[in-house]
Amino acid sequence: MGENILALRNISKAFYGIKALSDVSIRVEKGEVLGIIGENGAGKSTLMNIVGGVLQPDSGDMLLYDQPYKPKNTMDANASKIAFIHQELNLCNNLTVAENIFLIDFPKINKIPYINKREMNRLAHEAIKAVGLQCPPDTLIEKLSQGERQLVEIAKAFSMDAQVIIFDEPTTSLTARETERLFKIIGDLKQKGRSIIYISHILSDIQKLTDRIVVLRDGNVTAEGTTSSFNIDSMIFNMIGRDMKHIYPERKNVVSDEKKVELVNITKKGIVSNINLHAHEGEVVGIFGLMGSGRTELMHIFFGLDSFESGEIKIKGKLKSKNTAVQSIKQGVAFVTENRREEGLMLEMTVLENLSFVAMPNLASRFLRFIDKSRIADKAAAISQRLRIKSGAIEKSAAKSLSGGNQQKVVIGKWLMTSPEIFIVDEPTRGIDVGAKFEVYSVINNLACDGAAVLVVSSEIEELMGICDRIYVMSRGEITGCVGQDEFDRETILRYAFGQCAFNKNASHESEVQQ
Amino acid sequence: MFLKGSPTERNKSDVKDLFVKVLLSEYFIVFFCLLIFVSLMPVTPHIASRANINNIMSNLWPLFIIAIGQTVVLIVAGIDLSQTSIIAITSVVGAAIMTSKADPTLFEKSPLWGWFLTESGGPLAGEPAAIYAAIFVMILIGVGIGCFNGFFIHKFKMPPFMVTLVSQMLFSALAIYLTKSENIIGLPKNFKAIGSGSIMKIIPYSMIFAIVVAVLAAILLNKTVLGKWLYLVGSNPKASAVIGVPTGKVIIFAYAFSGFCAAMGSVLLSARLIAGRPTLGQTMLMDVVGAAVIGGTSLFGGKGKVSWTLFGALFFVILANALNMMKLPFYVVDMAKGIVIIIAVAFDVLRIEIKRRTNVM
Amino acid sequence: MNNNNKANMSAFALKLLKNIPLLLFILVFVVFGLITPVFFEWDNIENILTSSSYIGIVAIGMTLVLLTGGIDLSVGSLMFLSASSAGLLIRNFGFPIWLAIVSAIVIGLLVGAFHAFCINKLKLVPFIVTLSTLVALKGLTLMLTKSVAVEWPSAITGMASRRLLGFIPLPVFIFIVIIILVQLMLKSTPLGRHIYAVGYNSEVAAKAGIDHIKIIAVVYILCSVLAAIGGIISVTQLGIVNAGYGEGEEFKAIAAAVLGGTSLSGGVGSVFPGVVIGTLLIQVVQAGLVYLQVDIYMQPIITAGIILLAILLDSLRTMLEKRLERRNITKSCE
Repeated sequence: MGENILALRNISKAFYGIKALSDVSIRVEKGEVLGIIGENGAGKSTLMNIVGGVLQPDSGDMLLYDQPYKPKNTMDANASKIAFIHQELNLCNNLTVAENIFLIDFPKINKIPYINKREMNRLAHEAIKAVGLQCPPDTLIEKLSQGERQLVEIAKAFSMDAQVIIFDEPTTSLTARETERLFKIIGDLKQKGRSIIYISHILSDIQKLTDRIVVLRDGNVTAEGTTSSFNIDSMIFNMIGRDMKHIYPERKNVVSDEKKVELVNITKKGIVSNINLHAHEGEVVGIFGLMGSGRTELMHIFFGLDSFESGEIKIKGKLKSKNTAVQSIKQGVAFVTENRREEGLMLEMTVLENLSFVAMPNLASRFLRFIDKSRIADKAAAISQRLRIKSGAIEKSAAKSLSGGNQQKVVIGKWLMTSPEIFIVDEPTRGIDVGAKFEVYSVINNLACDGAAVLVVSSEIEELMGICDRIYVMSRGEITGCVGQDEFDRETILRYAFGQCAFNKNASHESEVQQ
Repeated sequence: MFLKGSPTERNKSDVKDLFVKVLLSEYFIVFFCLLIFVSLMPVTPHIASRANINNIMSNLWPLFIIAIGQTVVLIVAGIDLSQTSIIAITSVVGAAIMTSKADPTLFEKSPLWGWFLTESGGPLAGEPAAIYAAIFVMILIGVGIGCFNGFFIHKFKMPPFMVTLVSQMLFSALAIYLTKSENIIGLPKNFKAIGSGSIMKIIPYSMIFAIVVAVLAAILLNKTVLGKWLYLVGSNPKASAVIGVPTGKVIIFAYAFSGFCAAMGSVLLSARLIAGRPTLGQTMLMDVVGAAVIGGTSLFGGKGKVSWTLFGALFFVILANALNMMKLPFYVVDMAKGIVIIIAVAFDVLRIEIKRRTNVM
Repeated sequence: MNNNNKANMSAFALKLLKNIPLLLFILVFVVFGLITPVFFEWDNIENILTSSSYIGIVAIGMTLVLLTGGIDLSVGSLMFLSASSAGLLIRNFGFPIWLAIVSAIVIGLLVGAFHAFCINKLKLVPFIVTLSTLVALKGLTLMLTKSVAVEWPSAITGMASRRLLGFIPLPVFIFIVIIILVQLMLKSTPLGRHIYAVGYNSEVAAKAGIDHIKIIAVVYILCSVLAAIGGIISVTQLGIVNAGYGEGEEFKAIAAAVLGGTSLSGGVGSVFPGVVIGTLLIQVVQAGLVYLQVDIYMQPIITAGIILLAILLDSLRTMLEKRLERRNITKSCE
């Protein structure tokens, strides 16, 4: 086959005595796309950080073009023409596109430290043209969308003539169109003889994009081979070490006629217009939309974190009087936010504390609102058991020490403390591995079984089709379609998501009633 | 165990263990204070005398009260630079209310002259209730300025540093303006007692003040919903808003509480001085913020305790006292103070680093 | 239609708010001038420029530190130290003036290096480090001077009144040179761009391969050096260094930087027009209040009030900007 560009031999790495990688050997061929998959904590990031010069291995070595390759830092890696595009983009938003591309290697005038701006912008223009980014090179990064920012990172790799480009979960914050464009660019890079290492949780993307796959589990390579030798099931098998018969739990919830939530003609100029949706008791309702379709904004409005201009929100048939978060909580609404670490958890605090926050005011004494610690602790222990949160003693272990799946359970658990009847769950499985996803789905399913109405916002169609009774599709701030379980179909949903209305505006009410 | 190593070696490792233990302890700063204190005893035996200990204590209480307020603000990830000006302006206004004489040659040009302050003193001169009224007004002003800070910080999303910096400039200038830079004297005798009096010559009133404020603050922070909210807003305002915490009110409360503490501190300081001084507290900022931070309260929010602040305040007071005891001129005291603080904070960083390593191992 | 108008209005308001310090500066200047026409005379303008020069230089140093998200509270004390020690070197040790000035600058350099050491190596918070040196340096200076005011020889006070090209006072000339140099450094050299990058996010900068430790060291050293220079320049105007000298200058410098649009959280700010306008605004207000013969005790209150107004308007701008930049999702708004 093709020649090896990069070879890793027997790489091991431990953090404070805990093995992250043991004896990992992989190779990268010229002009191939190598997919690396594995659950969170399998060692993918550690491995790539070693290749990218961010970390140094404890033992083992690397060869680049058959020469020893020992990067001490990112700059060494870059000098060896290896570029690492992190999941969290590494750009300075207060600088221009061109400045970010040439940040450590500014074109100078006659070797004096004076930046040759004209030359810099010219070179940057070439680089961004090559990746299809349409903006002047002196645009500030903060003015660009997530997808455009990623293109800047790729342009940077381009400008340094990188031969190996590592992508770590590049699509998590991209819209569908941006993802398509990214894949096309990766194809182009491959054509030009560049090697790509592509890390992702989205197995269908891996299947579509890569030539070869390496599967990691617990710091070991468990499988390696051409992409055609894998199917999704075998990938999952190798990732988690056991068969996974069901990706989604069995549905047992019973949808009753009682409407728990109803949004009527909710409009906020520029954000959402004329939103009508409802959810019944015991129903799991999906809300699908591409990035930027307004789904998260709509949930913020519904929960009272943002205002709306016209329309009404009814909870259990009662009009919501004040649209604030406090009122929502009072009326039994819970909001599991999209951003677990930023909006959901106090990472430094313990699991017990995190579980207690929502219920704290309810369980406090009337007089001066003293906290009832023992009541809270009992209740939290019960919740933690019910959700099977895996952690050390809940009053001791900090939330940040938990795995992604368990963190998500803590976020859900803190709401369960007040026994709400309506759940808003925004991107519940983002960044969570396959095994933990199943557990989160089970929790959602159980909530519905207990009679709650659950609104699940997600950008993964399969996930929604797997756990929902009904799916609303949003596009550009409007609801463009509503699909019942028996009509679930990827194509249909995507068509709505790209803005093709299922019903014209006048008929919107009607068709919703019909379904 | 017993067979391992010679006795001296064992001693060595014991000493090392003890050292690490002390360093890692939450009460490290207390040990540090003791160390300073004890190591100075041979040099200046006077340091352990009753009079000096009383002196240390009487310096401790006002600083402690004010630093508690600062701690609460630091917990919500803010900072209150205006405490010094709150001390000054409450001192002036409180004194103006209860003074029984004012020299016309000094105060003639004061904007208070004539309608508020006259030759026969303030509006409540000679009234028995004057002290209570004055203290009440002082607290009211402190809380008011705190609300002013909190309002701008919350409503206009202005950086706390700038808002409280401006109100520091504003209100200290106002205090000087009101009195034309003169001290207001002639305060009632009973007021003086608050500063230097004691119950049965054992428990000073100032200590009672401090303990009341400290207990209030400790209960607030540990036992009430509002207290937990302070920590929540300090560590993650976004997540707090989602779970229904009224973040704005919590922030305003923190600054109001800080103003309250500054006013209480001002009562003690003015009473000790037996005067209202427009520059009172001007040089305290470093001690106040330092006491909170050295105690262990984080400048980045979400972390802080009343007891920690007590230790921090104790540290500052003992340090200043020790340096004074050595008969050093005041400027050397300043210099040494600055250096010792850097050392103490560096120790703290070292401590956290060791803790992190030992925990992970 | 109505919508469009509204959007235009807020865009206009934003433009207006973006230039608030400049507008306030012009407004204050014109108002004072109309009340007392003397205000427009060259003598007065020169006076304002000269008194702006030293605080402006200190504020430029402060801006560099603020740009990286740090803070330096010690500049006032350092001004005191540099001015006093240079004076002492001349008077007691017979140093030539130039050597004394160089020594003062070296002292600034050392203090800056100490800050950098504490922040980079000991990992201490800049706020606490510089708060400590604020107290310590003041103590040190009082020790050196034995709390006695230091008088400078008349040769150096003469420098303030020296004119370049016949009309530019020397302090103003130095101020302008420093503005140009720092502006060029920030906008057009790798170092300057790296300062912005570190200020935006030091982790991101480090990952991108920037030596952020070096950048932090450079800004604290530059800040201290500029504070030392500022101290000397102010003495050329005053001729004497009293015990209370330099007190509160750190806050004045921070205020000037923030008025000029520098963010306390780093990554945003500029020397020109930013800090220069911020400094001039404060000085014009102070000079104007003197001209209007406002009660001397009233002056700082008004100054503080105007600073509050300026930062309040700046916050309003940021809030409005956020609202305007909120992307439109629905079609109807295109």
